[in-house]
Amino acid sequence: MIVLKDIVPAAQNNIDTKFIVLEKGKITLEGQNKMCLTLVADETAAVHFQLWGDECDYFDSGDIIYITNGIFSYQRGNLVLRAGKRGKLEKIGEFTMSYVETPNMSEIHWIPDPTNPKKYIQEYVVSPHSRVFSPIL
Amino acid sequence: MVPKLTLAAPHEAENQIELSLKQSFESLEPSLKPPFSLTIPKPDEYTQLNHAILHAILTQPQFAKTHIKHLHAIVTDGYATFVNLLLKIIHHLYPKLLGSVKNQLLWVTNEMVRVSGIGYDALLISLMRHIVGGDFSDDNLWLCTKLVTLLLGKWDSLLEEASHVLCSGLYVFLRVLADHCRLNGEKFESLKHLEVNFCVKIVREEFHLCLKIGRDFIRLLQDLVHVPEFKSIWKDLMLNPTRFNTLGFSSVSQIYCTRTSSRYALLRITPEMETQLRFLLTHVKFGHQKRHLMWFARKFLSELDKETVIVDIVRFICCAHHPPNEIIQSDVIPRWAVIGWLLTTFRRKNYIEANVKLALFYDWLFFDERMDNIMNIEPAILLMVHSIPQYVEMTNTLLEFLLLLLDNYDMEHKDIIVKGVSSAFRLLESKGVIQSLHVLTSCPTLSPSLKEGLSKLLLSCGIGKLGSSKESLPVPIQPGQQMV
Repeated sequence: MIVLKDIVPAAQNNIDTKFIVLEKGKITLEGQNKMCLTLVADETAAVHFQLWGDECDYFDSGDIIYITNGIFSYQRGNLVLRAGKRGKLEKIGEFTMSYVETPNMSEIHWIPDPTNPKKYIQEYVVSPHSRVFSPIL
Repeated sequence: MVPKLTLAAPHEAENQIELSLKQSFESLEPSLKPPFSLTIPKPDEYTQLNHAILHAILTQPQFAKTHIKHLHAIVTDGYATFVNLLLKIIHHLYPKLLGSVKNQLLWVTNEMVRVSGIGYDALLISLMRHIVGGDFSDDNLWLCTKLVTLLLGKWDSLLEEASHVLCSGLYVFLRVLADHCRLNGEKFESLKHLEVNFCVKIVREEFHLCLKIGRDFIRLLQDLVHVPEFKSIWKDLMLNPTRFNTLGFSSVSQIYCTRTSSRYALLRITPEMETQLRFLLTHVKFGHQKRHLMWFARKFLSELDKETVIVDIVRFICCAHHPPNEIIQSDVIPRWAVIGWLLTTFRRKNYIEANVKLALFYDWLFFDERMDNIMNIEPAILLMVHSIPQYVEMTNTLLEFLLLLLDNYDMEHKDIIVKGVSSAFRLLESKGVIQSLHVLTSCPTLSPSLKEGLSKLLLSCGIGKLGSSKESLPVPIQPGQQMV
């Protein structure tokens, strides 16, 4: 299992992690399929997470989700974590998880690693918090 | 396919307890039908057989009698394994269980009481915790009916072997009667009747059990004085205490002076609520609590009727959740702040709000340093003091309520209450929970009449001089400075 602050964009379905859903955006239609952007977080970082299809109906804010074989990559210009076709989401609890809202891994500008072009490294922080979901204080 | 115990939504992880029951059932299913094996199982086989039989009883009502006979035949440990499994299911899964499984659960609980299975008292108490205050759903009323019927049905054996279960039952049903007596309609009449019968029977026949509960028994009873049966009990308590024929009992003040065990406060909070409240008060940082509070409110306080459970939550926080010093000195949200939030969540200003405040101050009224716990009275003083800078209306309301209680709660025993409240103030100051009572008595934004009332009280008990040094400015202490 990896923690959110250590995830790096890649075209691979290999992220196993656990987080709590902080907020759910509006459910939109993407062709035939439902889609919903959410803000999720663990004790180390937050990230934008995309629900797809019936996942949009079964998860709510406050839910703790375990994801296996998830992918963190660009979708139409937005950097999101999602289960994708090969990943799996499971609700394993609710409420009992601490979180931080900064850094937000989706709000970081990443560039290819000059020493290893197959990997991404952080270039700069675009915004300390999500620009889609503003923090509640 | 093996039948399920719970209603699991898609994407929901399977519960480990359910999974292990299911696996035992799957592997032993053929041996759950007669003729039963005569060989004595090894210890691990015995545990597995208990799992399998329990799963079968819960999911196959039509064969439940066969399965229970099987259990009676194989049991070698006084049902301890079986009852423990039931306890786990009740604690972790009850709200999610299917209706038919809940029915079977109550049936098999009855059976465990009948055979005096080891731990059946804990089983009954753990089921009582799932009766939720302020919840008028059919499911909740069904559980009330089932449990009060069971307690009445097993009265004699419970009285003899496990009278603490009757005490717990009395506490639970007095509390929910306050909800149920506000309901009208045929549907509730028979349940109300059973609950009244049960409570009156204990109070009239086994009054010594009420004494065991202590002062919260009076707090609950008071909410029912409009019900004729309880009105006459109340009158006897006040005017005719010998009517209860209990050796050594001569005045209600004896009950006032008995602190109620935190077990009772815990009894009115479901395990799920307990988990969330304890998490909140142990892990969530002050200033970052909004989302967690919202989720808690959405789950437990969403309907208007449910607000009466706030009384139970406040009692739980004051009496049953006492954080250690490392939490008190950390940046975790303190108890007073959660109570302050609860006090502002009311959408109806009414009797519930008064009951919540009474719950918050109840141990103040009869406080005795020798037997009471300072942690029970700490949240109220800190809420009053910390509200001064930004929410002085909260301080005003709370102090006004406390002074009203002093004069009106029980005029016959005003001396006890004056002594209790003033010694509460004295201890809170001398232990440094607040630096000085000056913070209240010379607070410029507090109502002059309240300050006067408070000063009078403190002077009458000879503690007015304390903390009167002009150097100590009314600065509220920071969370990190709190000590106990």
